Amino acid sequence: MMESSWRYKILAAIFGLMGVAIVIQTIRLQVIPEGQAVRQEGDDRFQGVWLEIDSPRGQIFDRGGYLLAGNKIVYEVGIELQYVRDAGSIAQVLNTVLEMNYAEALGLASLPFDEKDSVYAVVERGVSAEKAAILQSFIDKWAEDIRNGDVGDGSLAGLVLFPYLHRTYPERDVASSVLGFVNLEKKGYFGIEEHYDRMLIGAAKEVWIPFNPNNVTEMPDIPSGASLVLTIDREIQLMVEQLLDEAVEQYEAKSATIIVMNPENGEIYAMASTPRIDLNEFWTFPEIYPEDTPFNRAVSQSFEPGSAFKVFTMSAALDSGTVTPETIFFDTGSIEVGGITIANWNGDAWGEQDMIGCLQHSLNVCLAWVGTELGADKFYEYMDAFGFGHFTNIDLAWEATGRLKEPGDGDWYPADLGTNTFGQGISVTPIQMVAAASAIANDGKMVVPHVVRITIDENYQYQTHTQTAGQPITTETARTLNEMLAISLEEEASRALVPGYRLAGKTGTAEIPHGDEGYTKEITNASFIGWGPVDDPKFIVYVWIEEPTPIWGSLTAAPVFSKVVERLVVLLNIPPDVVRNQLNGQ
Amino acid sequence: MDRGQRIFQAYKNTPWRQQLQVIGLFSALVIFIAIVAGVYLNVTARAATFGREIQSIRYESREVEREIEDMEAQLAYLTSVRYMKRRAEELGFIPVGPITTTYLSVPDYSREPSIETSYVDETDEDTNIQLPLEYTMSLFDWIREMIYEIGLQTGAVEGP
Repeated sequence: MMESSWRYKILAAIFGLMGVAIVIQTIRLQVIPEGQAVRQEGDDRFQGVWLEIDSPRGQIFDRGGYLLAGNKIVYEVGIELQYVRDAGSIAQVLNTVLEMNYAEALGLASLPFDEKDSVYAVVERGVSAEKAAILQSFIDKWAEDIRNGDVGDGSLAGLVLFPYLHRTYPERDVASSVLGFVNLEKKGYFGIEEHYDRMLIGAAKEVWIPFNPNNVTEMPDIPSGASLVLTIDREIQLMVEQLLDEAVEQYEAKSATIIVMNPENGEIYAMASTPRIDLNEFWTFPEIYPEDTPFNRAVSQSFEPGSAFKVFTMSAALDSGTVTPETIFFDTGSIEVGGITIANWNGDAWGEQDMIGCLQHSLNVCLAWVGTELGADKFYEYMDAFGFGHFTNIDLAWEATGRLKEPGDGDWYPADLGTNTFGQGISVTPIQMVAAASAIANDGKMVVPHVVRITIDENYQYQTHTQTAGQPITTETARTLNEMLAISLEEEASRALVPGYRLAGKTGTAEIPHGDEGYTKEITNASFIGWGPVDDPKFIVYVWIEEPTPIWGSLTAAPVFSKVVERLVVLLNIPPDVVRNQLNGQ
Repeated sequence: MDRGQRIFQAYKNTPWRQQLQVIGLFSALVIFIAIVAGVYLNVTARAATFGREIQSIRYESREVEREIEDMEAQLAYLTSVRYMKRRAEELGFIPVGPITTTYLSVPDYSREPSIETSYVDETDEDTNIQLPLEYTMSLFDWIREMIYEIGLQTGAVEGP
């Protein structure tokens, strides 16, 4: 009896000590500072996991609801280093399926597992669903073999695939210069993607997912990125891009840009420039846009517009009462302004001309005279009101302002007034030309061009309202100039005309300064700005061809304008004038 | 032995009966605890099951969302403007010109197509499903609530 008693006592002492140790350890973990870290580690490891949950990037539609930018499932291929049993097999599969360098893959798979520093290796992101399916089939086959007891030589343990959404552009390069692109890090570059990046991207949130189902809490509502409906019409956009490419090829041009806008509300129907990129292969960007090539010339490249600018000089002169359409100017073939002599495009003297004749024959001398009559202060005041030298505030990234030198600027000389009147010595962007022309086509009111028509955010739709950027000229001036430009086109029998439709417009041919030679007649910017129908303008089309052959806007940009309008009126459902008047009269 | 003792003796239980009473009481206590534990386990297990289901449905929902986005993109590829144009040409259609088009005036007709997006209005009441009180209240709160309601029905308690 005595013998068993001391055994009981020892056993009791051991259990007692264990109990005391547990109590001491419990108190220690609660009290000492190091205990905090231990508790945290325990919490992190055994109670749940932090997951970053992001919402899909907002979609982008054209004005008809067709998807221009959406999201597709792609995969991240990775290796969970802790579970790797056979790095060679993993490297072999990655080499076969992803065409990855074997040594590189082996290096990744062989990384030593370290609980703190080295847990997971990213092999490749953005893997297509097709390749991911092949990879998964390898993993499934291996898992099946394991289940059947056939362990075999290779093990793919540790090789994992995670699906996620990545940007995709179903129309590929159509409207690429307007849309911009999103890289693998989900950051928007250029165009809409950059300008509206913060709206489109939605939100990402770190969420605590407890392992204990009793502790499951409400998953926070992570809003999706806002979706955008553009003013762009994909059919008009494609048509414009095709004509643009044809023009570049036909006229052996360096580049070309076309903008189609509604002058009543500033909605851009189409905006195209060269080069363009298949947005699904955005990594080709450095090859397609070498050096300083703008992504979207329509908003980012400034240039000297040439004679197309005369419409603004004339509108300023008409509006200020300096001239009327009937004012006569006797053209002697040259005029001196600020110490330099200005001549006409062909060097000829055109004799007696009214203001319509000056526009019709695009006489530099006449417009320089109009500018001097108007005076520098008034001229630049009007040009300022037309928005030259300022942002149009179009909702696209990387807009340039161009340059309007004004009296008082260090590099402005009186001679600039003469050359500026016919669009030389001033730099503008294509979108500035279109915005300014909207004042003439829209009864004097200039609209702010925009590309987003509707924003859909959290199930609410927000309509973009028309914004007026001022009224640089009166309604009467706008109508008068409209008529003058329509008559000058008709009398010139311009190649810009479209049978059945009365249009207003003006060609432009601007010399381009070239190295040390300065301005040369062989290299030009050819352009045409026009709108119609004259009695109720529904569209403005601006065509700019850089360095074409032949050099004249009337021979290059004007025919392109005509082709664009010929197709545009069908797509916009605008009947010929006669039919329209008949229908309106019904 | 006095009379009182005799009466006490007469009514005193036998020792085995006393033991039986103690055992009975103890058993009743054990059974009560077992029942409470059973109910608790049952409720906990159900809550856990629902919790797991909720987690699983959430993952599923995210997966479905991804698939919807992916399918929309696939559909857009199949109806892209270039593809549709090529198909139209293959079927023998040619683009109309402005002069060859016959225009008709149709009152109240608007060419502008409707905008359809993948988003639906989620403010619908059906989606705001509320969990039953049993899953959101503690047992004591629930019992108190029940007593309060019974009190209201019987008139023992005055309503607010």
